[in-house]
Amino acid sequence: MKEQKTLSEKESLELITSMIEKVKSSYHETGIVALLWGSVVAIASLVNYLEIEFSFELGFDIWLLVLFALIPHVIISMKERRLKKVRKHEDDALDAVWLAYGISIFGLVAYENIVPSVAGSSIPSIYSLFLLLYALPTLVTGLVKKFRPMLIGAILTYGLFIASCFTVTKYDVLFGAVAALTCWFIPGLILRKRYLEQRRTHV
Amino acid sequence: MFKELDPILHSQLRLAVMSLLIGIKEAEFTFIREKTNATAGNLSVQVQKLKDAGYIEVVKQFKNNYPQTICKITPAGLAAFEAYVKALQGYLKAGK
Repeated sequence: MKEQKTLSEKESLELITSMIEKVKSSYHETGIVALLWGSVVAIASLVNYLEIEFSFELGFDIWLLVLFALIPHVIISMKERRLKKVRKHEDDALDAVWLAYGISIFGLVAYENIVPSVAGSSIPSIYSLFLLLYALPTLVTGLVKKFRPMLIGAILTYGLFIASCFTVTKYDVLFGAVAALTCWFIPGLILRKRYLEQRRTHV
Repeated sequence: MFKELDPILHSQLRLAVMSLLIGIKEAEFTFIREKTNATAGNLSVQVQKLKDAGYIEVVKQFKNNYPQTICKITPAGLAAFEAYVKALQGYLKAGK
């Protein structure tokens, strides 16, 4: 492609369209990480089902497979990142969603191991799980919008979630109040202040 | 009265670079060269012109001990590109 060529208006529009198309067609995920997790979780779930259904034990926890899968995941992700020549706008948002998901899964595993089970169908210390959910969209919003107050709120709420696994429900609810204030109310006040200042300057 | 087309953008290679960068966050110099089929020397000159105009940001860094050049469009570049496309549409409508 030469710089000197004079373009007609039509040629300019055609060039813009073709370049946008080139970007679209040049960027595909390898799918290896999705294949890894799809197969590992499917195998672990299936084997776990068979253990329950046919009352046998493998002698080790099949879900440890998931833990081991983290190693190839990290290696593959680093390799893919090295080879990537283009970064799209949605990449940051998707990274934030998957990070929040990873933390949530880790939190659920921690909850399962820390909170003692009780008889009946009710979920013990269920408010802990709500705290985990409160943090999820807050973390994603904080990362995508690069909004520090929400990031702090989310991190604090993850801390409250861990603490809530060790406390009785009445304190979990109290933690919920703190989480709501730090995740949304305080960031909301900051956003409101910025908005009003912006409106004042535009009047 | 027609708006004059931005001379910085109304050049084949510079327009191609801006069109590549418009829909993405950032791209490596090698990616742009591959997609535009331009020579490294020519592309470097045009990238520099876009940078001087404030339309793109160029970051030079090292990745795995190799030099890496990252290009990304700036808000000024985005506004100029939008104005350029609008002006083009005006010309094309008038030509119909």
